[in-house]
Amino acid sequence: MDEFQEILQDFLVESFELIEQLDQDLVELESRPDDLDLLNRIFRVAHTIKGASSFLNFDVLTHLTHHMENLLNMARHGDLTIDANVMDVILESIDLMKALLVRIRDSGEDSGLEVLGCVGRLDAVANGTSEDAPVEAPAPVQEVPAPVATVEEEPDYSGMSDAEVEAEIERLIAVRQAEDAAKRAVKQDTTPASVEEEPDYSGMSDAEVEAEIERLIAVRQAEDAAKRAGKKAESEAPKAAPAPVPAAPVAAPKAEVTPVAKPAAPAPRRSEPKEEGENRGGSTVEQTIRVDVKRLDHLMNLIGELVLGKNRLIKINDDVEERYEGEAFLEELNQVVSIVSLVTTDLQIAVMKTRMLPIGKVFNKFPRMIRDLSRELSKNIELEIVGEDTELDKSIVEEIGDPLVHIIRNSCDHGIETPAVRLAAGKGEVGTIQLKAYHEGNHIVIQIIDDGKGLDADMLKSKSIEKGIITEKEADGMSEKEAFALIFRPGFSTAAQVTSVSGRGVGMDVVKTNIEKLNGMIDIDSEVGQGTSMKLKIPLTLAIIQALLVGVQEEYYAIPLASVLETVRISKDEIYTVESRSVMRLRDEVLSLVHIGDIFEVERVFDNSEHAYVVVLGLAESKIGLIVDSLVGQEEIVIKSLGEYLKGIEGIAGATIRGDGGVTLIVDVAALMQMAKSVKSTVGQESAEAKGRLGVKNSASDYCVMIVDDSKTDRTIMRKSLEPLGITLVEATDGVEALNILKQGDHNFDGMLVDIEMPRMDGYTLASEIKKYNKYKNLPLIAVTSRTGKADRMRGVESGMIEYITKPYSPEYLMNVVKRNIKFNEGL
Amino acid sequence: MSEKLQQIINKQQKNLSGEDTKIDEVIQLVGFIVGDEEFSVPILSIQEIIKPISWTRVPQTPAYILGVFNLRGSVIPLIDLRSRFGLPTLKHTEETRFIVMKNGDDVAGFVIDRLTEAIRLPKRDVGPAPETISESESLIDGVGKQADRIITILKVWKLLERNF
Repeated sequence: MDEFQEILQDFLVESFELIEQLDQDLVELESRPDDLDLLNRIFRVAHTIKGASSFLNFDVLTHLTHHMENLLNMARHGDLTIDANVMDVILESIDLMKALLVRIRDSGEDSGLEVLGCVGRLDAVANGTSEDAPVEAPAPVQEVPAPVATVEEEPDYSGMSDAEVEAEIERLIAVRQAEDAAKRAVKQDTTPASVEEEPDYSGMSDAEVEAEIERLIAVRQAEDAAKRAGKKAESEAPKAAPAPVPAAPVAAPKAEVTPVAKPAAPAPRRSEPKEEGENRGGSTVEQTIRVDVKRLDHLMNLIGELVLGKNRLIKINDDVEERYEGEAFLEELNQVVSIVSLVTTDLQIAVMKTRMLPIGKVFNKFPRMIRDLSRELSKNIELEIVGEDTELDKSIVEEIGDPLVHIIRNSCDHGIETPAVRLAAGKGEVGTIQLKAYHEGNHIVIQIIDDGKGLDADMLKSKSIEKGIITEKEADGMSEKEAFALIFRPGFSTAAQVTSVSGRGVGMDVVKTNIEKLNGMIDIDSEVGQGTSMKLKIPLTLAIIQALLVGVQEEYYAIPLASVLETVRISKDEIYTVESRSVMRLRDEVLSLVHIGDIFEVERVFDNSEHAYVVVLGLAESKIGLIVDSLVGQEEIVIKSLGEYLKGIEGIAGATIRGDGGVTLIVDVAALMQMAKSVKSTVGQESAEAKGRLGVKNSASDYCVMIVDDSKTDRTIMRKSLEPLGITLVEATDGVEALNILKQGDHNFDGMLVDIEMPRMDGYTLASEIKKYNKYKNLPLIAVTSRTGKADRMRGVESGMIEYITKPYSPEYLMNVVKRNIKFNEGL
Repeated sequence: MSEKLQQIINKQQKNLSGEDTKIDEVIQLVGFIVGDEEFSVPILSIQEIIKPISWTRVPQTPAYILGVFNLRGSVIPLIDLRSRFGLPTLKHTEETRFIVMKNGDDVAGFVIDRLTEAIRLPKRDVGPAPETISESESLIDGVGKQADRIITILKVWKLLERNF
């Protein structure tokens, strides 16, 4: 059973691969019906699948593919011209074949799908168009109301008509003969020629049988030649598989094939690569191996860890460099670090490449789609594909399909006009849709260009107002691009009539969501009457990304660089408030702004400086300016999930570990844009806390003053002078300590006495550091110093001191100055 | 299959599990203090205990979630048990520890005031949680009685369950 499963898996993988190519070939075939190569290729797919499925006892599938093969074979021999009608039937049967394969994959059996109708049509086409071709035996079978024999594993003889019974008997005889012949042939033929499957000769017309014999002889000759050539590489010759005779298919006339040819009848598809390979001396073995995606994912995770390690190493190296400047070992360390980082980067690229798939995998299904759509919509549409070899990450390939389908459908339905309209507009009758893919830096760009009627900004606006998506006021302020973006709003649909193709207003909304999920951007360009171009810009990979690190207060956040359009430094005056929202003018655009602190509830401890940095974020079709306190730089980060416990936090896409071992959160730009809509702007506002700093004082000890001086004596003098007031006194020996005490926030200080000359951090520096905090902006700082020069006083004022007491001083004087500055209430 | 065979298998399994409970009669706990009370969790649910390290605040979370920290390359949530239990927060001291607990794939760090000891407790000394607390909401798995004190045993899976 296991063995069977294994074979089944191989069969499915192979079949799906074949089918993928098939759609493309078929559409091409329609434009070039005489291309024999193409026909042969298509025929071989049907043939291979038929052979394998009969071996695996999938009777329904075998039945269907058999008839497909018949039809294709006729076309191959010129007995049948492929026109649109024939094509429709072929495509229908291919779809059915796909459905069957999917069924087999999911449930392990191929029952439950109705193939007879399709088979009937296949045969009708085959019979109707080719007079010369002899009547196919299976065709009449289909007309019988109970065509059980073809579907059931064990044919139900009782339900058969006479003709069927006879056919069945003949089939059995044929099978028997074939079996015998195969046995004989195997005995005669000592070479390990492959009998991988028994081609179905029974269903063939005379002409086909002849052709088949010719083909087999050709194959045989080629094989002989190959054998001679490949004597050195004997081991590569394929092994003989047991002839799967019992699976020989449907009722039909007797096989008239010489037994000699039989053993040498491998599936044609298989014989070809072998010929090529062995003719070249057997040197080209298959150069690819299949790898489970999970293994690649694991590998990618490991690389992620390595990148983190590398970042950390670089950071440590920088620190070491600072500390041991000029030492000899530094040079060596530097070299090692740069080699490690270089190799890591290369390794990362190499692993990423193993996950890359050509975008052609996605593009392949579009020719067929366009063909179906143009018939359905009675339009003439041509699809041009450029750059289908462009590669991108597997996970993205999987996600990109749906959006593209919607966009292309949209272009066909709304973009391209009907031939009559096109002619009237002075364009060619045939509309073109161009599908382009190319790399641009770390992005892949997919462009969908149609030469249809284009988007009409005014029409879009009025439609949106009508549907209540936007207000008239909003519409007035909209640029053309913003109006184009309206098509992505949920509930928007410009089609006057809902067709089966599009117009339900769901599709384009899905496009936007999916592209946002990939951190991609959408750019629409359109001109009325000329056409529309939609540009999707998507990062190449998702696991390791480039990020812009920004700071707000004491926190850092990583923004995916893919979403960053630019950064600008602005002064506070450039921020305007319109309807309680902050905006700024960026060149000729008005950009709405939001402070990252408002989004992430960051406590405003520090004062906002005069300047701010604005990170302009673009995602899909929208833009927003994110105000941050500082820009740290660009770094390669590895996305880690926050885990089950914290998942789904709005605005956070994940976390990454930085070079210093700390965790930095990654901004989810799409969510952030949503959140920005509901956040009240507080740009330029002081936090309420700063205003309410001076709490209610109930006793003298509620007042708190810090004494900062490095001299124990001086501190004692100050303490003695102030003790009579009964206020709380806290001592610090230098600026650093003072700042730490402030930061801890254990006390609510009403004033500070600061010495100027101190180790580690002097009084001036301390004062300016303190003034950076919003909370302590109005904290009275009193300098107590022996420096009396005018310059010193000036510096004191500049750094934010409000009083300047020179040593020596009288206790009363100090007490009075303090009392005045902390607004001491004598009544307590 | 015959019923008899099934019965025999059942009986064997019963015997086996019966033996298991005998072995399991002593449970091992790690005790720690949060506020004024001593709590404990089964020793096997503890991945490790570390000294406080720096963490990163995560926005849009309840106050008891301090944020996330980096435990050798993994990003792990950090939960303050004091505020989880509705107690006022304290500044971390020399004795503060992060207990990293796990339940299946769920892992989180918990800030506790200080560790006490590893406790071996016979299973019969463990009583049910006080009935006044509704069963589904309670974080308490049971109460362990020792000669001189009472130890609250916490439900680790409940602690690790997201409740916001």
